[in-house]
Amino acid sequence: MTSHKLMMLVRNKPGVLARVVVLFSSRNVEVESLSFVPAGHGDLSRVDVVVGLREDRTSDQLMKQLARLLDVVHVADVDSAGDTALIA
Amino acid sequence: MGRGAQALIRALEAVDCEVIFGIPGGAILPVYDPLFESTKIRHVLMRHEQGAGHAAVGYAQATGRVGVCMATSGPGATNLVTPLADAYMDSVPIVAVTGQVARPVIGTDAFQEADIASITLPITKHSFQVTDPADIPQVIAEAFAVAAGGRPGPVLVDIPKDVQVARTTYRDATPPVYHRAAPSPADVDAAVRLIASARRPVLYVGGGVIRSGAAPALLAFAELTGIPVVTTLMARGAFPDSHRQHLGMPGMHGTVAAVGALQKSDLLIALGTRFDDRVTGVLEEFAPGARVIHADIDPAEINKNRRADVGIVGDCRVVLAALTSAVRAVGDLRDWWAQLDALRETFPLGYDRPADGKLAPQYVIERISALAGPEAIYTAGVGQHQMWAAQYVKYERPGSFLNSGGLGTMGYAVPAALGAKVGAPDRQVWAIDGDGCFQMTNQELATCALEGIPIKVAVINNGNLGMVRQWQNLFYGGRYSNTNLNTHTRRIPDFVRLAEALGCVGLRCESEQDVDRVVLEAMEVRDMPVVVDFVVGENAQVWPMVAAGTGNDQIMAARGIRPLFDADFEE
Ligand SMILES: Cc1ncc(C[n+]2csc(CCOP(=O)(O)OP(=O)(O)O)c2C)c(N)n1
Ligand SMILES: [Mg+2]
Repeated sequence: MTSHKLMMLVRNKPGVLARVVVLFSSRNVEVESLSFVPAGHGDLSRVDVVVGLREDRTSDQLMKQLARLLDVVHVADVDSAGDTALIA
Repeated sequence: MGRGAQALIRALEAVDCEVIFGIPGGAILPVYDPLFESTKIRHVLMRHEQGAGHAAVGYAQATGRVGVCMATSGPGATNLVTPLADAYMDSVPIVAVTGQVARPVIGTDAFQEADIASITLPITKHSFQVTDPADIPQVIAEAFAVAAGGRPGPVLVDIPKDVQVARTTYRDATPPVYHRAAPSPADVDAAVRLIASARRPVLYVGGGVIRSGAAPALLAFAELTGIPVVTTLMARGAFPDSHRQHLGMPGMHGTVAAVGALQKSDLLIALGTRFDDRVTGVLEEFAPGARVIHADIDPAEINKNRRADVGIVGDCRVVLAALTSAVRAVGDLRDWWAQLDALRETFPLGYDRPADGKLAPQYVIERISALAGPEAIYTAGVGQHQMWAAQYVKYERPGSFLNSGGLGTMGYAVPAALGAKVGAPDRQVWAIDGDGCFQMTNQELATCALEGIPIKVAVINNGNLGMVRQWQNLFYGGRYSNTNLNTHTRRIPDFVRLAEALGCVGLRCESEQDVDRVVLEAMEVRDMPVVVDFVVGENAQVWPMVAAGTGNDQIMAARGIRPLFDADFEE
């Protein structure tokens, strides 16, 4: 298991946290820690999450799956600054 | 001032919804009142919400439009779970509108309360719960745009009853616009370079080609380059079966030529496909010598199961157009074609007549295809009959074969055929169903009979849960635990009498010489649904087969017959 630290910006829409968390469980991703705090002007929240992935999995795939969620505005792997998935 | 329910109907009219498949109930009752008056929207009263969901899927797959289903809260909504999961797996654009208990009692275990938005989280592309009736037009416009935009999928709109009855003023929505994602020129260039140097390229075509309306673009690209084509279960019809460059379906029950082409390829051009385990077999042994170009509208599909040498994010239609105009050179494919032609000549699709003299199911399906033709729409359930429908119907156009590929949902065929017929009333629609599957959703034939939806159902009645029995035969020493349905031995149910009870014409066929006559008789009935009970042998098996847990090189063309690709392909 390798830990990856992800940072997300999400819209404050009903169910957004549930959708993110369910994605982790249905994609077999272990959540080691998670925080959810207001960001921006009240319309966004920031999610900081540390996930555990099997050695052969990269965070890239997971970030793309997270970015696919409608209310996820931004996902980044904090440790590898280059890996950023941005959604309009 | 109107009410939320009226706003909902008006909003659905505004996005050109022409039909809703549904069943009313307490928590959605306010909506059924203005629906009663709508002259633009037809409501088809189903017999089970699962049928409503599959009908919406069939409608969407046959027309390319967004399918709509509707249900009440609680059990109505939970009955939609299976079709939502099916639509999610096969990327079908549908919107499910569900009633919900009133906001003040949400969370109190109120009568018929179920948290459907949470239940369906992993199987919907998105969901909305409406809290203000003024939002309804915008939510509906967005729900339709999300369902159809990008990679299509199911969207849930849950509306509490008090929101449906609250007063509101209707305001036109501004629907979000999704552009067809265009590929990056650098990726297209990289792909073109790989194509130029490939000696054994294959176009590995998936359902995304059908969803994006890319079949004409595929034909143009394939003919320009001369590259062989394989079409997955979800892509049958994306490329004409009659075309010389078509090697058929790859995968667990694919043709030897299609599987062999992938295994021996040096370049897979994968389009709108997801390297599903039913296609790849054991992943490590899949197409070991191939580089991969993978084009998909969903970036999360690229590198998911198989690393791509060139990943192209984009709509297949746009990607194919870009490749077609950018491609300059293609290698000499004559040796490759000579090998593939030899393979398809040595191992054509085929079947033996059952030794016991009973009717061959493959023959029945072959004859339905020949008589109903490529302009018809075919749906299938899940099981042996589904695989034979994929193998022995000759598809010539996209949207002519509808089935539950990803989820593998028994019971899909009849309601999906109903939905397809509503969307394409001028086409003949044949549901090729199994005797097991048919017993899961045949109640929707009552809907067909009463609503004037004259579909045709061919029950491939082998008396058994045939696909499970096939595995028991091959892998469990012929111990047939709980797979005999006794539709042969006891004739329970009697499908002809069941059909008649449901307001349909019921026919039966038990011998080869009667097949054409009975199919033609079914085709002559134009104003009623028809069910034909084709009583076929129970021992027919689906070949070729790559057994689960093995690599594609282990494909068996038939029992005891294993093609050796290494000997067939001299390099
Ligand atoms: C809802 C559902 N339950 C169970 C299965 C497992 N299953 C796959 S094929 C099959 C047998 C289908 O029998 P039938 O409809 O008679 O088709 P046949 O294989 O005989 O052609 C079963 C039980 C499934 N795919 N879907
Ligand atoms: Mg059967």
